Amino acid sequence: MIRVDNVCLSYGEKKVLDHFSLEIPKEGITGFSGPSGCGKTSLLRLLAGLEKPGSGGVTGLGQAAFLFQENRLLPWRTVEQQIFDVLPAARRHEAERWLAFAELEGEGSAYPSALSGGMARRLALARCAALGGEVLLLDEPFAGVDKERAMRLMERLRQLGTPVILVSHETDVLEKCDRVYTFDGIPLRTV
Amino acid sequence: MLVDLELLLPTPVAVGRSLAALAGTAEFWLSALYTLLRVLMGLAGGVLLGGTLAFLTHFLPWADLLFSPAVRVVRATPVVSFILLVYLWVTRANIPGVIAALMVLPVIWGSVSTGLASVDAQLLEFAHAYRFSRLKTLRLIYLPSLRPHFTGGLLTAFGLAWKSGVAAEVICPPKLAIGSRIQQARLALETPELFAWTLVIIALSLGLEALLRRGLHRKGGAA
Repeated sequence: MIRVDNVCLSYGEKKVLDHFSLEIPKEGITGFSGPSGCGKTSLLRLLAGLEKPGSGGVTGLGQAAFLFQENRLLPWRTVEQQIFDVLPAARRHEAERWLAFAELEGEGSAYPSALSGGMARRLALARCAALGGEVLLLDEPFAGVDKERAMRLMERLRQLGTPVILVSHETDVLEKCDRVYTFDGIPLRTV
Repeated sequence: MLVDLELLLPTPVAVGRSLAALAGTAEFWLSALYTLLRVLMGLAGGVLLGGTLAFLTHFLPWADLLFSPAVRVVRATPVVSFILLVYLWVTRANIPGVIAALMVLPVIWGSVSTGLASVDAQLLEFAHAYRFSRLKTLRLIYLPSLRPHFTGGLLTAFGLAWKSGVAAEVICPPKLAIGSRIQQARLALETPELFAWTLVIIALSLGLEALLRRGLHRKGGAA
């Protein structure tokens, strides 16, 4: 179980999490939903250790792999190199597998500037999954990806066996989750 | 009257003749070679020092406090003042290289510092989140981000290294150097030879700059 315990998080004067607590089973696929700007991304970043809370803390997470809301691909690295870059030397042979995961076979030598929005998103997702960890934290993983592909990717994520926590606005994606937490506004409070 | 004119502005034929005569001597080639070596060594030293200082002043606040004002002073100091000052501390043969390095240093420092300040913060956060080592972050994020800034700085620095290196050779002439030959030609009122040497400097500078551009373009082409 992942425990968010009595966390306060602010950006300057703006409170995003106010004595917020939550327990998330460390299995299957968990969805976070809610209106834009309600603090879902901040919560995910907190879980990834990218935000330091003013008080409280997170336990039971271990090392996580985080997919940012933006793709953050390296413009000077090819598709294949983006995967290589996150794999340890002993796992370099897996690159092809991760390209297949993202349905990017044949695109290995392309640079990000040559990819469509959906392809770039799939590459970023594959890179995150290739990095791996005890949990995958995915912020809008299917933004710009067509619905059918998104469903196939959801299925592949499930087959990985690694617990996934994702933020999404898409109903189809949330319906495929094992559980969904819906948040309704800033600051997030435990009710 | 014709002699006077030749003294002030020689004809292209006179300059060509002078150049051909010079090219037939071993001293010409040795002078050009030594000048080239001094300028290139000065350039390399300035690039190394300027680049290192840029990293230090970017990442270490104490280094920024200590070195940034000093580099700005170097940038503002006229090259002639440096040549005369350095003459007090360094042997004559080494002055052009040291002067070239001093002129190159602030240019490279400035371009690399600007590049470091403009590295995408989102990519740095990505590198942190994806557990990149410092060396890997340097190789995959910093160095590619710096490339356009460094390339521009290097081309500017290259031109400066030539001008300042030869100027130092003219003021403090070493035994074998283009600058020394220019100075001798001036004292002997051999204006066609002075023009011939100037042509040699321009040709060397443009030729090497073209090679440098080609090399940089080829290296950066893949990205």
